[in-house]
Amino acid sequence: MTDVFALLGHGFAVAATPINLFFCLVGAICGTLIGVLPGLGPVATISLLLPATYALSPVSAIIMLAGIYYGAQYGGSTTAILVNIPGESTSVVTAIDGYKMAQQGRASEALAIAAIGSFIAGCIGTVVIALLGPPLALMTQQFASPDYFSLMVLGLVSAVVLANGSAFHAIAMIFLGLLLGMVGMDLNTGEARMTFGLVELSDGINFVALVMGLFGVAEVISNLEGASVRIVNQMRIGTIWPSFKALRGAWGAVLRGTALGTLFGILPGGGATIASFSAYALEKRVAKDRSRFGNGAIEGVAGPESANNAAAQTSFVPLLTMGIPTSATMALMVGALTLHGIAPGPMIISRQPDLFWGLIASMFLGNAMLVIINLPMIGIWVRLLAVPYRLLYLAIVVICAIGVYSVNNSSFDVYMTVGFSLLGYVLRKLDAEPAPLLMGFVLGPMVEENFRRSLITSHGDPMIFLQRPISLALLLVSVALLISIMMPAVRQRRVEVFQE
Amino acid sequence: MTSPARRGNNTDFYSGLLLVAVATVALLYIRTLSVGTVLEMGPGYFPLGLALVLMVMGLCLAVKGLLAEGSPIGSFHLRPLICILLSFTAFGVLVERAGLIIAILAQVAIAHFASVETRWRQSLVIGVLLAAASAVIFVWLLKIPVDLLP
Repeated sequence: MTDVFALLGHGFAVAATPINLFFCLVGAICGTLIGVLPGLGPVATISLLLPATYALSPVSAIIMLAGIYYGAQYGGSTTAILVNIPGESTSVVTAIDGYKMAQQGRASEALAIAAIGSFIAGCIGTVVIALLGPPLALMTQQFASPDYFSLMVLGLVSAVVLANGSAFHAIAMIFLGLLLGMVGMDLNTGEARMTFGLVELSDGINFVALVMGLFGVAEVISNLEGASVRIVNQMRIGTIWPSFKALRGAWGAVLRGTALGTLFGILPGGGATIASFSAYALEKRVAKDRSRFGNGAIEGVAGPESANNAAAQTSFVPLLTMGIPTSATMALMVGALTLHGIAPGPMIISRQPDLFWGLIASMFLGNAMLVIINLPMIGIWVRLLAVPYRLLYLAIVVICAIGVYSVNNSSFDVYMTVGFSLLGYVLRKLDAEPAPLLMGFVLGPMVEENFRRSLITSHGDPMIFLQRPISLALLLVSVALLISIMMPAVRQRRVEVFQE
Repeated sequence: MTSPARRGNNTDFYSGLLLVAVATVALLYIRTLSVGTVLEMGPGYFPLGLALVLMVMGLCLAVKGLLAEGSPIGSFHLRPLICILLSFTAFGVLVERAGLIIAILAQVAIAHFASVETRWRQSLVIGVLLAAASAVIFVWLLKIPVDLLP
């Protein structure tokens, strides 16, 4: 225990250097910005800013990218409450009671509990990472390649759970991603694979080009399809600091949301969106008077907002301790770490203590900054909604193009982005989400390597995956997860949850 | 989502076709790689497995789409699609030949036509601002090795 505090102290020393504080602030502001602006999600934004992190040290880079992710959870609630437009999928349920509260003239109350709840949840989530991280990493260090292979399978299955729509489509997308991940040099023989004779592909498909095309550019194209929505905000916000009496009823909801979010963030197949939906359902269930929900119940804002922020923090646990991403955003973090030459995995905590503890400490600081950014400065963010998309998208495409080009200073990567944008757009039209594809692409090379190594050690006997207890347990969990989403009852609920 | 699509004209069928197409291209290429055995896996072993799974899944989806009714495919809006993709291509072609500033202006000019709501005066101002800001940020501060002008 004292050890953890000493290490956390070290983390604060890292995070509090002027440069890291600065990038933490930049991340928090960017996150709030994209949270407020609808039609620009964290995945697209992080992919947009990935190239910009090259110039930074790995620690500053990851601190900034993390700030964008949890900052978006704060920002998303602002527009959900004030104008009934959830900036992020994680704030969809917040709009139900939050907007009602705003209509009743309780906007400041709703905004305050969203920010305070997020702050408390963020801090508790961060403590959980600090306490859980080191023992989990130690445990993962015992893993041999078959166990790793099964762990990756579990990570990929979790991508299916997270995907919106048909599970079969999602599994197909994973395999497509795995196949795309194979492009480039074979690690064992150095032979070029599926490069079609192109030298540019010998290091594999450029991660930034893939992500920016599939998520960033494809999203811009879909946003341009219809007429843009003119947002008129006539809500008067009034004083931002509400009476503490009004907030008293929400403490229970904050704590319940935090607990739920923390759990969902760590579990494979969890994530911030599902956490917020579940928290809303939980609040509705424990309430004495259910009819208040949908009519401006403060718990309906406090629970989900705490849950999504807690989950945003703790979803870093599987990434930093075991090296597996549990969501598309975390897959981007893997990409960011790899670009900086750091292999995500159990060795991060011991070999890169600055990175792990610095990131954790920056989350405390970032959450505190976000409360300040969001509460007193809320008027500025709301005014941003008035920026028309016809100006915004021009800037987005130019930044995208320069960003992709600057990674390797290669026009080829820009053309690749064009290809992946087309693929991303077509996949959207076919109801296939690109997120599982990204997970497959990121994990592909690691899956192959561990598969090959396992079979070499077992002399070609595939039973090795079932003989090792850790591997067997992980595979059983994966199968259970897969069966559970195929079950009609759960399937029905998934559809309901995503359609709400 | 509201009305069920006719057989053979739904998301299942077309995503199946897409997967089969990708798997076929991959398999054609994997033919040139040595596959090896379980004990000594060659570079083609794992990709071959993946491509075969993809092929089977694609065929299943396509057949399912032919036999059963599914959800209709979303409508394609060609104007934003083509304009945005062209704008990126223009950037890629021009950035090394004509310099960053012209590449950005060309990209904004083409992307302008992606939306019906753009106004040319605003787009012009945005284009000039973006070119100036990129010159300062990317070339002077971040020192990307690219020429500003031809």
